Amino acid sequence: MNELQFLTWVRGPGLNLAISIFLLGVFVRLFEIYSLGRKKDLSEPRNVGGASGINTVFRRSLPAEGMLKKSPISYIGGYIFHIGLAIIVFLFVPHIKFFQGLLGISWPGLPSQLVEFVTIVTIVTMLVILLDRITNPVKRYLSTFQDWFTWALTFLPVLTGWLAVRHLLLPYTTMLAVHILMVELLLVFLPFTKLFHAFTVFGSRWFNGTVNGHKGVAV
Amino acid sequence: MATTNDKEFRVKLETLSVSQQRQVAALFVQRVLGLSNDVRIKAALDMAMRADISDAELAVVSQAANTARVESYAQCGRDSDWNTQAGLFVAKAAVSCVRPDVEGQNLAWDAAMQVRVARTCEAASGDVTDHKEAEAQYAILDDFLSK
Amino acid sequence: MSASLEKGVRVLKEVIDAPIASYFSSCVHCGLCAEACLFYTETGDPKYTPIHKLEPMRRLYEQEYTVLGRLKKLIGLSKAVTDAELDEWRELVYNSCTLCGRCSVVCPVGNDIVYMVRKFREGMSASGNAPEGIKGAANRTITIGSPMGVKLPAVKAQMRHVEADYGLPIPMDVEGAEYLVMLSSMEIMNFPEYLGAIAKIMNQAGKSWTLCSTAFEATNAGMQIGNSDLARVIVSRIVEAAEKLKVKTVISPECGHAYTALRLEGANLMGRSFGFKVRHIIEVLGEFQEQGLLKTEGFETDRLTFHDPCQLARRGGVIKQQRGLMNMVAKNFVEMPDAGFMNWCCGGGGGASAIEEGEELRMEAFKKKKSQFDAVKPDRVVTACANCRIVMEEGLEHYKMNLPVVGLTEMIADHIPNPVVAKPEGS
Repeated sequence: MNELQFLTWVRGPGLNLAISIFLLGVFVRLFEIYSLGRKKDLSEPRNVGGASGINTVFRRSLPAEGMLKKSPISYIGGYIFHIGLAIIVFLFVPHIKFFQGLLGISWPGLPSQLVEFVTIVTIVTMLVILLDRITNPVKRYLSTFQDWFTWALTFLPVLTGWLAVRHLLLPYTTMLAVHILMVELLLVFLPFTKLFHAFTVFGSRWFNGTVNGHKGVAV
Repeated sequence: MATTNDKEFRVKLETLSVSQQRQVAALFVQRVLGLSNDVRIKAALDMAMRADISDAELAVVSQAANTARVESYAQCGRDSDWNTQAGLFVAKAAVSCVRPDVEGQNLAWDAAMQVRVARTCEAASGDVTDHKEAEAQYAILDDFLSK
Repeated sequence: MSASLEKGVRVLKEVIDAPIASYFSSCVHCGLCAEACLFYTETGDPKYTPIHKLEPMRRLYEQEYTVLGRLKKLIGLSKAVTDAELDEWRELVYNSCTLCGRCSVVCPVGNDIVYMVRKFREGMSASGNAPEGIKGAANRTITIGSPMGVKLPAVKAQMRHVEADYGLPIPMDVEGAEYLVMLSSMEIMNFPEYLGAIAKIMNQAGKSWTLCSTAFEATNAGMQIGNSDLARVIVSRIVEAAEKLKVKTVISPECGHAYTALRLEGANLMGRSFGFKVRHIIEVLGEFQEQGLLKTEGFETDRLTFHDPCQLARRGGVIKQQRGLMNMVAKNFVEMPDAGFMNWCCGGGGGASAIEEGEELRMEAFKKKKSQFDAVKPDRVVTACANCRIVMEEGLEHYKMNLPVVGLTEMIADHIPNPVVAKPEGS
């Protein structure tokens, strides 16, 4: 297979396959989690403002009192790379063009140089986060193969994307194909790894907030 | 004039000096000493009986009595018996006797109350139906005052 | 698989619900829960990381409830939960977890870890892996009526004592009283002054109340062990009594888990809601204060701080009331760092203090509480849970700190003038 065939494949059948698996996986996982349901809480509820599921969905994005100083890298690094990823994926003009082709809608993007700056910051931050996972005793203790694997799954699309834009490492066509392949791998594995938190974080925060809100405790 | 109720009892105790309070309190506690077999408690009482105790000696025996008290708490969820539990209140009473910092406190009254609870524990264990500890304490106080 | 392990696994499968599935699926191994847990912060041992305490349950979830997990199991790629593993996890699930709930409020993805530990304990209890200390307490509660073997004659002896001391009659089995007062074995045995305090306060507030001869024990060891069946038996005793006596409100004593058991879990254990309200004594005192029914005299002048019992404050939502009450009788009340919602556990809740083998660990963990005291340097500590009081006294004793610990209800009662027998409301 030459580089053009490779690129054609990842843009065509590969993409279709990845998106199909992604969508099916998301659906199956969401169903198998939330269909378990939960028992109704029959205890006397307490109505306290600010104590509810939806409140926690938003509030939990901020560190709890006294926690930021315990692990600044977790919070600050986490914010930077999540926001960085969002900016790169949704505000980089070539990506917007891709979404336009797929979904028929588009929106304004950011200047490419700004996106590149964000990319570098994101790459560096993700390396710092990797180092933290290796050196922090708790993170190291908890980490399994899946943690390293999902880090790579998330990092490689960013790195290969940057390399492609800069025409580095491999000839452009190949680099671009590799980048798309990395994205496809990310899509395929996302529903079946901890990366699925992208979808379940809302449900988890909501349940936590609801159960505690019933008791009148704002979490 | 004989003491007949708690109001009089408390007021009379308050008129005593600290050293006198310690001595009469020790007399109260001696009545229930049998409910505890902790040597630190006995040591505290012996010390309190003396009229000439120094601050340093008081500090040492007070610390030991307090440790005895904390150690005799019934632990949450552990099986316990009331006779042993009485020991906690004997310890509390002994702690009152040798408490170093007693400005404005009626330590003898505190000790007397704890002794009564110790008696109640004894009653709860089923061996005794009721007790007349208060009356016994009035008698001890009147006797002490008449000397 | 032994019969009891099979039972345990079955129970674990039953308790896994959508929240738990969502939580396991959201965990990103960030380890922040460890930073909130005093057993990790004071020992530095990562095995005490809260989410790690649930590892067997997580595997079970994967193997039973996910397509991928079930596939892996089919082709022999999954590791089953074993007796030995549950045995190993006993320390993590009981000795090093007081159900304090700090982990649940810091997890960035929103996991309610303490909720999961509670459920895991159900499985541990069914498989016979709960610690001996709590098992005994639970059995005694069922057979004798109290985890510590306190029987009615003992309660009656205390009642007589209070009546003699204060000249106030202690009502028992009075139908139609507004409040049914529950006690905890810890208080009956270690802090009998509590009953007198209640009598004085109710008398001044002019409220009708009663004890119940068939249900005086609020402590729920079933909750701590994680056995819902046991918890239910204990709760139903109270519910029957409350309904038989037609009271409006049941008052839970100064015991953290009694409140959780009755107020927050009770209805779910019984499968129906109650016809009466359940309030913690501190909530009731807070209400009385608001209504102007507490007329206290004088103030404590020494430097006081307040330790928030986890089940009352963070888990139960009663945080402001104790502060209002403190300010009513204390001139020099200072808050420790992290006071209120984020306060640190005393280290002895959730049944932990009943586990002898866990004492060394508890003393380690107590360093956190000690650091809070060191920061604020109080003359005395006030709290509203009999177990916290004793755990803290033991910890203070261990570290040779001379710091008395007192109960809030008693402190309030101390500032109520000598009782004048008032007629109850409505008579």
